Formats: sequence, C-alpha cells, structure tokens
Amino acid sequence: MAKPQPIIQLTNVSLTLESGAGPVNILKEINFGIEKGETVGIVGPSGSGKSSLMSLMTGLEQATSGTVNVDGLAFEGANEDDLARHRLSRVGIVMQAFHLIPTMTALENTAVPLELAGVNDAFDQATRELEAVGLAHRMDHYPAQLSGGEQQRVALARALAPQPAILFGDEPTGNLDGKTGRAIIDLIFDLSKSRGSTLILVTHDPALADRCDRVISMSDGRIVDDTGDTQSVSGEGDMMPKATQS
Amino acid sequence: MITRDAKTPIAVKLALRELRAGLNGFKVFMACLILGVTAIAAIGSLTRAIQEGLEREGQSILGGDIEVNIYQRESTPESINWFQEQGQMSSSARLRTMARVDGVPSSTLVELRAVDNQYPLYGSFETTPTLDNDTLFSANGNTWGVAIDPLLASKMNVGVGDTLVFGRIKADIRALIDREPDKANLGFQLGPTVMISRDALAQTGLVTTGSLVNFYYKIRLPAGADVDAVREQMKETFPDENWRVRDRGTSAPGLRRFIEQMGMFLTLVGISALVVGGVGVGNAVRGYMDRKTRTIATLKILGADGNTVFATYFIQILLIGSIAIAVGLFAGAFLPGTLAQFLPDTLPVKPEGGVYPLALVLAAIYGLMITVAFAVWPLGKARDLPAVRLFRAIVAPEGRWPRLIYTAVIFGAATVVVLLAVGMSDNRGLAAGFMIGAGAALGLLRVTSWLIEKAAAAAPRPKNALVRMAVANLHRPGAATGAVVISLGLGLTLFAGLALIEGNLGKRLSEQVPSEAPAFFMLDIQPYQVDEFETTAASIDGVQDVVTIPNLRGRVTHLNDIPASDVEVDQEVRWVLRGDRGLSYMRELNKGSALVEGDWWPEDYTGDPEVSMGKEVADGLGLSVGDTITVNVLGRDITARIRSLREINWGTFGFNFVILFDPYTLAQAPHTFMATLKASGKAEQIAHSTITSKYPNITAVRMKEVLSSVNTMVAQIGTAVRATALVAIIAGILVLAGAIAAGFQQRVYESVILKVVGAVRSQILRAYLLEYALIGIVTATIALGLGTLTGWIVVELVMDMEFAFLPMPMIITVTTSLLVTVLFGLGSSFRALSIKPNAVLRTE
Repeated sequence: MAKPQPIIQLTNVSLTLESGAGPVNILKEINFGIEKGETVGIVGPSGSGKSSLMSLMTGLEQATSGTVNVDGLAFEGANEDDLARHRLSRVGIVMQAFHLIPTMTALENTAVPLELAGVNDAFDQATRELEAVGLAHRMDHYPAQLSGGEQQRVALARALAPQPAILFGDEPTGNLDGKTGRAIIDLIFDLSKSRGSTLILVTHDPALADRCDRVISMSDGRIVDDTGDTQSVSGEGDMMPKATQS
Repeated sequence: MITRDAKTPIAVKLALRELRAGLNGFKVFMACLILGVTAIAAIGSLTRAIQEGLEREGQSILGGDIEVNIYQRESTPESINWFQEQGQMSSSARLRTMARVDGVPSSTLVELRAVDNQYPLYGSFETTPTLDNDTLFSANGNTWGVAIDPLLASKMNVGVGDTLVFGRIKADIRALIDREPDKANLGFQLGPTVMISRDALAQTGLVTTGSLVNFYYKIRLPAGADVDAVREQMKETFPDENWRVRDRGTSAPGLRRFIEQMGMFLTLVGISALVVGGVGVGNAVRGYMDRKTRTIATLKILGADGNTVFATYFIQILLIGSIAIAVGLFAGAFLPGTLAQFLPDTLPVKPEGGVYPLALVLAAIYGLMITVAFAVWPLGKARDLPAVRLFRAIVAPEGRWPRLIYTAVIFGAATVVVLLAVGMSDNRGLAAGFMIGAGAALGLLRVTSWLIEKAAAAAPRPKNALVRMAVANLHRPGAATGAVVISLGLGLTLFAGLALIEGNLGKRLSEQVPSEAPAFFMLDIQPYQVDEFETTAASIDGVQDVVTIPNLRGRVTHLNDIPASDVEVDQEVRWVLRGDRGLSYMRELNKGSALVEGDWWPEDYTGDPEVSMGKEVADGLGLSVGDTITVNVLGRDITARIRSLREINWGTFGFNFVILFDPYTLAQAPHTFMATLKASGKAEQIAHSTITSKYPNITAVRMKEVLSSVNTMVAQIGTAVRATALVAIIAGILVLAGAIAAGFQQRVYESVILKVVGAVRSQILRAYLLEYALIGIVTATIALGLGTLTGWIVVELVMDMEFAFLPMPMIITVTTSLLVTVLFGLGSSFRALSIKPNAVLRTE
C-alpha cells in the first residue's frame, strides 16, 4: 500500500531575513513532513526559529530557498494573496496574543474568516463555534470586555470556524494563567481531534508538547530532534537522530 | 443589520465595524477637510449668489430689456422710431465733466447723466426727498434741477437748495440720490453722479462734435417678448450700425467679469488651502494605519487578501471624508449669507442665501479628490503590510512606493483637481499657472523638508546635550518636521507671495505712480482750443510736460477682412475686440514706444489708411506688418494696412494707444484732444482752477483721485484674498497641531526618561523650545524664499513691474511661523512635562 502524501512537506528549506545589521539566517536546511491528522509540538528555546517555521508553514513568510508544500499548494511562486486565500480555506491559527479585532464583538471576530470566504450563514456557524468553546453567553461582547481566557477561546473559535485542515497554535497559552491555559489546551486538542484537523503547536511548554503525537525540537534555526522521523532532518547531519519510523 | 448581512460586501462590513471605535484620530483630518471644503463651497456659493442676483436683477441693472449704446452721436430718428415700436423706450446720455458751485471758481469732476421722464424703465430711482422726474429736473426760469450723489454733496460741501454750474447752465440741487438702479451697468466711474434731464444737457453746450458722450436707448419689451428675437431683428433691420447692444442677460459685463474672475482666483486660493489640509489628511491616515497594523496583520492571517484590506480602510476614509465634506458643504452653503454683509455697498445686488448645487458639487469633488490624493499613499502601503508583522520585528524593509495602481490613482485624483480648476476657469492661463506654482511649491517644500531631516541627521553632534536633542528631534522617526514644513510652509508661501504682490502693487500706486504720472488727464479739448490750451497750461508756474494728442474711439470690426467675432485670438488680448478702443494719430513716435517692425510715416504722408499697432496685441491677434485691420470710427468702417509694430511701455503713464493711425486718415474726422500735464503742490491747484474756469468744457481728471479709487479697490480685493489665504494658514496650523499631537506619547516618554536621568523641567523645555524655534525659522525661511520667488515671477514677469522686497510680509511670515510652531509645540510639551514619571514608568 502506498504511503499517504504528507499534508505538510518542507524540503531543504532555509530562511534568511534582511536586518539593519545585515542578513540573519533564521532557518537552515529544514526537511520534514507531517501526516494528515497528526498532532505535532514544535519546541525550542527563544530564537531557535520555531515561530519562523510556523510562519513558513502558514504562508506568512516565504522561504529563501527550498520548497514548502501545504495541503496540496506549493508555496514557492505563490503571491501574498494566493497564500492568504490558502489560509482562508485550509489553515487556522491561534496566537499567543489572541489578536482579536478590538472593534468587533466576539461573534463578529469569529465570523470574519467565514465572511471573507463568502459563507452565507457565517453568523450561524460562528455562533455554533462560540457555543463549542463555551462562549454562548459572551457573543456580543467586545474583546476589551472579555478575560484573557475568553479572548483566546474566541480566537480558537475563529481559527476553527472555516473547518481548517490544519490548526496552528503559536504559544496559545503563553498569555494565560496555568488553569485557564490547561482548559484552552484541552479545548484545542478535543476540537481538532473531533474534526480530524492536523494540529501543530509551537510551545515552550514540554508538558504541552508531550501531549502531541510527535515533537520537533529546534535550536539555532535547525531541527535537532524529531520524535516522528528516523532520518536526519538537518541538512548538515550534526544533530542526534532520535526518531521512530512513522 | 448591515454589518452582519451576508449580502453586504465584506470590506463594507469590516469598515463599518472598524468605525465603531469612533472618529478619534480623525479630528485634524476632518477639520482640514471641513475648512477647505467650506472655503471653496462658500466662495463658489457667494459667486453664484451674486451672479444669480445679477441675472435676477438684470432688467433693473440694465434699466431695460435691451440697451443700445452709441458713442459720440445720437441715434437716427429712424432707429428711434424702431426702438419705440418694440416697446417702451427711455433715452439717456452720460459724460464726464466739471461741476462747480455757483460763485466758487474751483470745480470737481463728475459723471453727468442726462435722463428723460421715462427713466427708469425697471427698478426704482430713489432720492431724498422723493420727487418725480419732472419735479426733480424741470427748468425753473433759467435754472434747471439736479439730483446728486451724496458723495458729491459732502465733497463740495453742498446740499439741497444750493446751485451748481456745469457747462453753460446753472442747476439747483433738488435731491440727493439714494439709489440709481442701473449704476452697475455703467462700469468704472471717475466721479460721483450728477443727474439732469436730457433737455438740460442740450443747454449745457457740453455735447459737440467729438465730445466723449455715450448715448443710451433702453427698451422695455412687452411681457413675454423674446429678447434674442428682437436683437436678431435689430441686426437685420440695421445691419450697418455698429451699436453696442446689451440685454438683461448681459448687463454690467465688467462687474460680471470681475465677479467671475475674483471667484475663480479665490477658488484657486481655496484649493491651495485644501491641499495644505490634504497634508493633514495624509498624516491622519498614516497615523491611523500605523495604529491598525495589528488588525491588518490579523485580517491577513485570517485570509484577507490585500485588496480586501485596502478596500476596508479606503471605505472608512471615504466615509469619514464624506462626513467632513458634507459638514463643509453645509457651512459653505450658509456662509455666503454672513459674508454678504462684508461686501462693498457698491455691489448692485445683495446675494441671497440659498443652495447653489454646482458650487457645492465642485467643492465636494475637490474635497473628495484631495482626500483620495493624500490618503491612498498610506493606504496603499498598508495594503502590502506583511502579516508576519504580528510575529517579528525583523522583516524585509518595506518598499517606499505603494503599487503602481495606487500611484496612478493618486496621479488621477490630482489631475482631476487640476483639470477641474483650469477647466472651470475663464482665465485658463492664470489658473494653470497657479496650479503649476502650487504643485511646484509643494514639491519644493517636500524636498526641502527631506533635506532638512537629512542635514540634521548628518550634522556634527553639538556639545550641548539639549541642543543635540533639539537637532536630533528634527529627524527622529515620527518627527513633525516634514508635516510642518510642508503644510504651514505652503500656507505661508501663499500668504507671503500674495502679500508681496499686493504690497508691490500698492507701492507702485502710492509711491512710484504719483511721482511719474501726470497730475491731470484733460479731456474734451476742442480742436480750436488746442493751441491756446497748450500756451495757457505751459505758462502756469510749476506746470511741465504738457502733451496734447487727438482722441477718437472706434471698434475693431474685421481682421484681414474676417469679422472680428469669427477670429480665434489669444485670451490675453481679447479685450481689444471688446467694445470701443481709444484711437489716435501722431506725426512723430512718442516717448515710451519703440518701433520693432516696419517703419514710421513720413511727415507729409497722404496715402491709404495705415496703422501702427502694439506688437504684443498684434501677435495675440495673429496680425503682422502688411495685414489689415478694420476699425469703425463714428459709424464709418476704415480698413487700414498695418505699417509698423511698436513695443509699448505701459508704465510711462503717457498716452499709449494700441492702434495709432497715420497722421492723414483721421485728421479730418470730427474729434477732440486729450492732454496730460505734470504739476505738483500748489501748481496742481492753480492748474486745475485756471484751466477748468477758463475752459468749462474741458474735463480735468485728477490722477490722485483715480489712484485713490484704484487703491480702494485693490485694498478690497486684497482683503478678500488675504482672508482666503488665511484659511490656508489655519489649515497649516491644524496640520501642525495634528503632527504635534501624534508625537505626544513619544514626547511624554522622552521627558520622563530625561527626568529620570536627572534633567530639570526648564532644561527639557529649553530643548523643546529650541526644536520648535528651529522648525519655525526653517519653515519661515522656505516660505519666504518661495513666496518671494512667486511674488517676483508675478510682479516682474506677469505685471511687468519692478519687484521690491517688502519688510512687512517678511515680518508677518516669520512671526507667524515662529509663534505658531513655538506656541503649539510648547503647549504640548508643557502637558508632557506635567505628567509624573512614575505614572508612565508603572505602565511600561
């Protein structure tokens, strides 16, 4: 039986950014694939490149070299608007700082991606999403009227509303207290599992990463460990393979 | 709900939701637009209100439905019969003459109007006391009756019951004139009105062959009659008559032209104010988009494409702009009612309040286009804001230019403003010149502000920390330098330029002209009086340079045998074909003119009719040596070959004629002579009394009085122009206030840190004072430089006068700039300094 095509495939990916002090090599020779339905934790110290890696996978950033293929779309050659449309239909993102639009209510924030996609019953669907995250009673509140946990639940509802194939979380509990953070994580895992979404979490928290099927560890722009890969994932072979056959 | 309706476009929904946060941050944006649109709408509405007033009152301003004006001769009985067949007719005459109080030798220049009992056919002629024409003007023994302008009464210190003398008659003042309904139709008057009857005029002896008299025949048509048809019929019945015919729709053409040109010029100044405000619009949008960075990035992360982002914010800007424009239109529509109170009493109509749609639509388009031109740049850049901004500070540097399409939109909006301003203008050259000048000034100010920032960045570090801070603040990110230099600079450039032009004109009129110009223009000298007049004048002590010259009038009818009305000529010389022009002939070329083509006539020339023309006018009319021009003189068409072209120096105040005939052709035509003479102080008084008492028929126009009238008019125009330029300065101040407010938080933080490291408040304040004073001085210097350049171009190249740099505009410009920048800057700094460091640091 043929091996299924990975939903995310990065091949020889590098990312270099210009700064005032000269070019900065953010990511170096990254190679890995993620299967549909997998839950993956990306861990590493600050500055290791994990958020940049997520930016590449979500199309927020274009690789300097190498290829990124996400759910059937090859990112090289795609322009910013192509990538935005791809995110709209295939990708949901939950961020550490929530990033709700302050002038919109919880319901409107949740409905935005559906409206952008031209969904007719955007508000009915958004209502269901907010109910699913337990915010049925806060729909008409503005972000400033919600607690941090509630805001992140709105952000989760918004990310899941278009039924994305892949859900990304970038330190989704970073701005929350422990108890609230755990509740949000439970929600993220439950909802993504029940919908069959691939879940990719960028986190500092080893406990959170351990809940994932697979953990990718990063340091200095390279993958130094990948529990889901038996082969070297670093272009230069200077890391310790510690993977199992997927 | 529209913000949730699935059918509403997503950008509209997002825009409306964003606007829930209110208009905070848009106060300067709105104020700038409201101010500019109000100014343009008010100017347009006031102009339209006056124009409609002139149209509405056309019959009473003209004094009839149709007016036939014949110069120097009365109409034939045949044509008078025809006029009377068309409806009710009133005839009148008008000339300038000298009037004196009976028994007093000194005389005063007056406009003598002789009317019949039918006067006026429309409107009301009002006097105090109220008398009918017969009682007012009829002869009582040897004395006739007159009504006089109250101005004359105070000038000559006379009143009802006193007796005036003009020509050969005496007349009792029976009333003072309160209202001449058709005064505006007469155009520029050199003296106050004296009104007598036609019969009295015949007895004055002032009307002889060649006298400078205008005869008017006004016709009141039956109700419903077609004015155009009657005019057409008139032309067919009297094809050879060279009358000047006006109808109720074309009354007071001089005033109409003046109102239109004044309205056009003030609109251009108003557009400049709007452009200054546009800088504020751009700054406000840039600030707003900076605050929306996270929202835009979030929308992009959620899948919004660039066009959706652009549309979302463009719609918001258009909505807010529309509200401001609507407020401006509302204010502009109602302001004319207030402004009307400041209009001179000489205006024959009081403009009525009301909505003038064209004026408002134009103001709205200008407002909208300026909004688009200045807002699209920051919007276009925000459109390409990378979504990854939410995650990292290091991103590839953003491009300096937005996409080509947005640059094209900006260019398109600016083009609409220019095309509309030029297209709606009667004087396209002036409008185009003004727009080019304003655009060039804007560009120069932008480049200069950029250079200042670069220079401040590259300047060696001053040792004094506070000076260093002040200089550094000129180029720090978010510095107000650019916005202030451009906006306040443009307003002040406009002010300085206009003030220098007006000042130079005033200086010329009040200083140079009186010293160079003759003291008098003497009119209506009969041919038989010329020699004696010259001897008498020259014999008066202190009188110099007595020059006499033949004076005729005629209308240009054909150029190279093509009717003048069918020839396309330059706008600048159109006046030559409009109405009667002064004509003369000379044996020798006078001072102040130089032959540039062809040659002068031999002294004994007796050949075919020939003329010498002013070169500039000939060029504008498309004529050159050898071409022909046909002039109707006293009802006779004379076709003359152009023998030479002259460069005329109009600044000599001598007799300058665009068309000079050869010495032979007109010598036998009935005509009078004019004279100029120089005299000052006592000699001026003696010359006036000697000549006017010896020759009652000669009219002495005192240059001083003409200059005084012109000065008054220039001052009135200047006030209107300055008031409009002030709007541009206020717009500049608004932009300055906005720029300072935008940097307030940074200023608070900066002052807190300075306090933390040990600076005392007076030190910090001194640094800020220095910073704003530097901006103020730099802005004033640039504005003065550009304003002077503008003034020089207009005065030297357009007005052909000598340019003088005047201290007053300089002082006002520098003071305004310094005061405004320092006061606003320090006001904001005081507030920043008053905030306690702990309050700020706790929140960091």
